[in-house]
Amino acid sequence: MELAIGIILGCCALGAGICMGIGAIGPGIGEGNAVSKACEAIGRQPESKGAVTSTMIMGCAISETTGIYALVIAILLIFVAPITMVNALKNAIGL
Amino acid sequence: MQAIDPVVLKETKYIALWSLVFSAIMQAVFLVIGRWDYTVILGNLLGYAAIVLNYFGIGLTVQKALEKEEKDAKQTMKLSNTVRMLFLFCVAVIGVTVPVFHMVAALVPLLFPRIAIALRMIGNKKDQTEEGEHEQ
Repeated sequence: MELAIGIILGCCALGAGICMGIGAIGPGIGEGNAVSKACEAIGRQPESKGAVTSTMIMGCAISETTGIYALVIAILLIFVAPITMVNALKNAIGL
Repeated sequence: MQAIDPVVLKETKYIALWSLVFSAIMQAVFLVIGRWDYTVILGNLLGYAAIVLNYFGIGLTVQKALEKEEKDAKQTMKLSNTVRMLFLFCVAVIGVTVPVFHMVAALVPLLFPRIAIALRMIGNKKDQTEEGEHEQ
């Protein structure tokens, strides 16, 4: 029983770590690249700063969403999944 | 202190308004399924405040980064992304662990800006199509 609970907790923690690790890399790199290109665009056409800023903010919010999805999944894996799974295991073996 | 760009304020207001609408819809859903209590409102408030602050943070960072050189702008965005993610993580942990906040009501508002932006894109596409038809 202890071994099974240990495996469940370990897998949940591992899953949350992998989820946040991979999920947070993408938005960071993507936003960085997008802003550097926006700087380039404003350098070429300074009059388009307002439009570029607006598009950039929306783009950053969209790319950030993948990170937020990963965050929500990781939080659920850390706080909700272990309790649910351990309870399901206990019910299955009749404890 | 640096002045806030009107574009940043406009975008933040847009997201705040739509998130408020989605929050009201979420409250209504909780009411309909019979799970509504004060924890839902508190959780919703926590999530709502977090996303509006997060979006305002994105706007301020973009405004700041666009005034810098390319390399510095990249670094600024990466740093801001890390700080904002940490902030959202803290908010999510508080929303899940503290019993006065309903877990679902605290986590679901984090996804509202994406829906608001998707709606805006659909609206923009429709406008462009109508403009194209008028030109023809």
